[in-house]
Amino acid sequence: MTTLTLAKALNESMRRAMEDDPKVLVMGEDVGKLGGVFRVTDGLQKDFGEQRVIDTPLAESGIVGTAIGLALRGYRPVCEIQFDGFVFPAADQIITQLAKMPLRSLGKLRLPVVVRIPFGGGIGAVEHHSESPEAYFTHTAGLRVVACSNPADGYTMLQQAIRCDDPVIFFEPKRRYWDKADVDTSAFSEGWTPLDEARVVRRGTDVTLIAYGPMVKTCLEAATAAEDDGRSLEVVDLRSLNPLDVERVVESAGRTGRCVVVHEAPVYSGFGAEIAARVTERCFYSLEAPVLRVGGPSTPYPPSRLEDHYLPDLDRVLDAVDRVFAF
Amino acid sequence: MTAEAPHGAEAPPELVQLLTPEGERVEHPDYDIDLTPEEIRGLYRDLVLVRRVDLEAVALQRQGELGLWASLLGQEAAQIGSGRALTDADMAFPTYREHGVAWCRGVDPVNLLGLFRGVNHGGWDPAEHNFHLYTIVIGSQTLHAVGYAMGIQRDGAEAASIVYFGDGATSQGDVNESFIWASVFNAPVVFFCQNNQWAISEPLEKQTRIPLYRRASGFGFPGVRVDGNDVFACLAVTRKALADARAGQGPMLIEAFTYRMGAHTTSDDPTRYRVADELEAWKLKDPIERVRAYMFKNQLADQEFFDTIDAEADELGRDARRRCLALPDPEPLAIFDHVYAEPHRLIDSERAQFAAYLEGFEG
Amino acid sequence: MKEFRLPDVGEGLTEAEIVRWHVRPGDPVKINQIIVEIETAKAVVELPCPFEGVVSALTAVEGETVEVGRPIISVDDGTAPAPGAPSGARAEEGLTEVSADRRGLTEDMVPHPPEQERRPVLVGYGVKPGAAKRRPRKPVAGASGRAVNGDADRAAGGGAGAAASFATLPVAGETGAVPAVPPVPAVPPVPAGTAVPAGRVIAPAKPPVRKLARELGVDLATLTGTGPQGTITREDVHSAVGLAGRAGPSAVPAAVTEERIPVKGVRKATAQAVTASAFTAPHVTEFLQVDVTRAVEAVGRLRELPDFAEVRVTPLLLVAKATLVAVRRHPMINSSWDEARQEIVVKYGVNLGIAAATPRGLLVPNVKDAQTLSLPELAGALGALAETARAGRTQPADMAGGTITITNVGVFGVDAGTPILNPGESAILAFGQIRDMPWVVDGQIVPRKVCTLALSFDHRIVDGELGSLFLRDLGAMLEDPLRMLAWS
Repeated sequence: MTTLTLAKALNESMRRAMEDDPKVLVMGEDVGKLGGVFRVTDGLQKDFGEQRVIDTPLAESGIVGTAIGLALRGYRPVCEIQFDGFVFPAADQIITQLAKMPLRSLGKLRLPVVVRIPFGGGIGAVEHHSESPEAYFTHTAGLRVVACSNPADGYTMLQQAIRCDDPVIFFEPKRRYWDKADVDTSAFSEGWTPLDEARVVRRGTDVTLIAYGPMVKTCLEAATAAEDDGRSLEVVDLRSLNPLDVERVVESAGRTGRCVVVHEAPVYSGFGAEIAARVTERCFYSLEAPVLRVGGPSTPYPPSRLEDHYLPDLDRVLDAVDRVFAF
Repeated sequence: MTAEAPHGAEAPPELVQLLTPEGERVEHPDYDIDLTPEEIRGLYRDLVLVRRVDLEAVALQRQGELGLWASLLGQEAAQIGSGRALTDADMAFPTYREHGVAWCRGVDPVNLLGLFRGVNHGGWDPAEHNFHLYTIVIGSQTLHAVGYAMGIQRDGAEAASIVYFGDGATSQGDVNESFIWASVFNAPVVFFCQNNQWAISEPLEKQTRIPLYRRASGFGFPGVRVDGNDVFACLAVTRKALADARAGQGPMLIEAFTYRMGAHTTSDDPTRYRVADELEAWKLKDPIERVRAYMFKNQLADQEFFDTIDAEADELGRDARRRCLALPDPEPLAIFDHVYAEPHRLIDSERAQFAAYLEGFEG
Repeated sequence: MKEFRLPDVGEGLTEAEIVRWHVRPGDPVKINQIIVEIETAKAVVELPCPFEGVVSALTAVEGETVEVGRPIISVDDGTAPAPGAPSGARAEEGLTEVSADRRGLTEDMVPHPPEQERRPVLVGYGVKPGAAKRRPRKPVAGASGRAVNGDADRAAGGGAGAAASFATLPVAGETGAVPAVPPVPAVPPVPAGTAVPAGRVIAPAKPPVRKLARELGVDLATLTGTGPQGTITREDVHSAVGLAGRAGPSAVPAAVTEERIPVKGVRKATAQAVTASAFTAPHVTEFLQVDVTRAVEAVGRLRELPDFAEVRVTPLLLVAKATLVAVRRHPMINSSWDEARQEIVVKYGVNLGIAAATPRGLLVPNVKDAQTLSLPELAGALGALAETARAGRTQPADMAGGTITITNVGVFGVDAGTPILNPGESAILAFGQIRDMPWVVDGQIVPRKVCTLALSFDHRIVDGELGSLFLRDLGAMLEDPLRMLAWS
């Protein structure tokens, strides 16, 4: 066990993956000498060289498009999109090509491409640097979409994503990059929690909070604070958004009878709608209240001086908890 | 007539320069300019003032009063020279670093500070200043400028648009598409690329294997490389390009060869990727010093003039700081403002929900 | 409208548990589209839909055990009236609009989080630490925390205010914590002499209360709700059937000291089978310790042969092969007792059963006509059988018709046991763990690979002599695998 930040855990994870498999490449803007704007690729180019850690021209469509070509040639590219708001030039390659090409080949082609996207707000940044675009990608069949929430998962999930033969959109909660935790940096193991499995990160009996990425920590803080109200909150970290680990979600929500989904992205047409629908379908007769969603309003991400109002926080989460108890 | 290098030439690209780093006036066969002493003093003032505001902004960021700042240090001549070439009717499309152009277009520097402070996303009226909002996504604005120029063309107006972008942006699909559109429609647009040598940590050779200005010929319009630290040359070349565009001769690419003296933004640490020697070499080509030297030599200004400008700059910096700190944080419900032009029931109901939620807290 | 009844998917199965529905009401279905997974006593089976149309109802829920022949799904094939419109529209109408009162939002009411240290993130201001405590809420007049079914104490801590969840949740009015239940549609005043319009008005009740009412046979339309905004509570339902005061399902039980697991599925089938077997066939078990060193070596040699490159070669393979050879030498061991006709049925083919511990419990799939397979084929068949069992995909047919069984108890790290016959068979071999033991060879004590074989047989068919001969032959072949060739 070593204590690592999430950024460092992801860095160690990529280092490990590159050691394990010479076909693993890292590519993106500023990932080389600079080590990425969040230092997630720090030192990799120094140790693995410019052939394997590629500073690309400044063009996201190009990054993903050429990663597809490299994958067709047997490589396993790990692309870094510098910020969530910059992924959209690559959206065409991701949605029309990366997601669908294996199917067009009737399974003959595999595209083991990982697209890493730092996402979410809470860092006081300018426009396009704080968005949560996950729903665009969960809505695209052919992509696996995951989001890590802590250093230990960052370490295991990224290696699993790299080993996965499907394209994986890998969301990293940028405001948690510097959170530290103990990480077991041992070699890849088949015994790790599978990439597509959710995890109950806090046991509780009264309400199930469902979150992923940056909001897991917020929910854990809310659960601790809720003890003062005499309430026992369970927190489920989804980890995988597509596929969704429905069974774990349903087990928890069915047991507690109350369910609140929390994400930073706008509630309207957000990923929480999928959870709410499935929980309602599967747990209808166990639900003491409708499934509530906590997320951003239906507005673009605001300037940073307003982001505290936009982002779900402990109070917003507990407000929703109050409301599911009011039924 | 074109400043493009002869076809297939391996010779170093011809750099349009009218004022050397030492402050010597030189001639160029295609581009020349006749400036009155008053105009020269005005350019000098612009250069000093925008650098001063920029320094103030960097300081404000370091003090936690701005979330971020993208410094223009070293690029003042490119921005003032091109900015002063514009007529009121011309339209400028900036990136997020064109503080000097904004100054020329009459945008209050506090507007720029407000964006980086995070009180809004810009907020000035682009039509009032004929200066579009800052665009943070790299290169997107090039297409907007071409479309705007197509509008000018259809209006039969005596105007052109100019779009700013960096060396990194030239890799983006949007920028290349904008070249194609401009060429195909013969749009009255000037592409003003400030090649400051670095796209965050990536040097120019990560974006191109040929001088950027030569890309233009492949798209079918002229390109020229100008000394981006020479305010006279930038003014002369941009004036000519705009005049040609307004006269129906189509687009032109200007590569202003300059240097980003500071970090990419206040969040960046250039010591991780570039050597100090490079910076020292470019310091000798400072865009302000050469004008000052030229003015001294030619007795276009005395010490009193320079002192007055410095004092004005300091006052401008102080004023910008004072008004920046006085910027109120927007009230929370401002999140819901201006999302749509017309009434929108979803936004309305969410605004009401949030107001009621906020009401529920004590004090 | 077409109904699909749970079919018998195995040999006389009588019930199955619904594991997972693949369709929901409203889904279009095509013929042979997989609609449901069921677990019978022996296998998880996917059921294809026999109709084309739109699912109108699922009449069995997941986790429910359903008898064969009971309808589990109805499919609207276009001839029947469509099911009633979903009630979503009513919920929408019930939304109460909040009046946007911004007058109170003076500067000092805008929440200003205390200045907290931010951590740098290389971009922007940095990250603020999360709050550890709730911000205090205004007390709300009339907010007694009134809630349904004893949640009042818990709701009291909540306070009031509108949700900031930006969902389509009705916003509470000034009365604060009163739950946001869609108002009861008012019954329109009916002028005397006019007919009452069709349709019943039911007070709102949350889903668990509806379920309770259904279970207790209470018609919600006959009740008057006493809960918040006229909702029907659990107490209301209990009162209706004279169970007033009875603790509802939400009551917390006293200390839990044990768990009760319903006996169903594989567990139920296994219990019935072993009981029947143990009490009908008189079991005798014999043991033999064998030096299997050469068999283990043979396994190693076989693994290197190209013929075995694609299959798993394990000691079990040789035990299986030896069993087949021994059956050939002693056919009577491969037989069954027909009580009704008072006959012994000697099987010509060997359907070799392998007992497998699976996540679902004990299963005994068998390799059909194993005596016809080459050794690589047998290895492949054993591997496939194990993989299918582990994946929980063993089908009833895979387990039908077994004639003799091997149970590999060695994998659990034990030496022997007294296995119980698979019903309908007359012998079962338990194959213990292989371990290094001191063994006397040519008068010297040397370490050898040794394992114990235990053979249980039906004493009605197999005498002690036959059983002993069979076991001795097995041992001889494992001691010297060349004997397998000699006796083949």
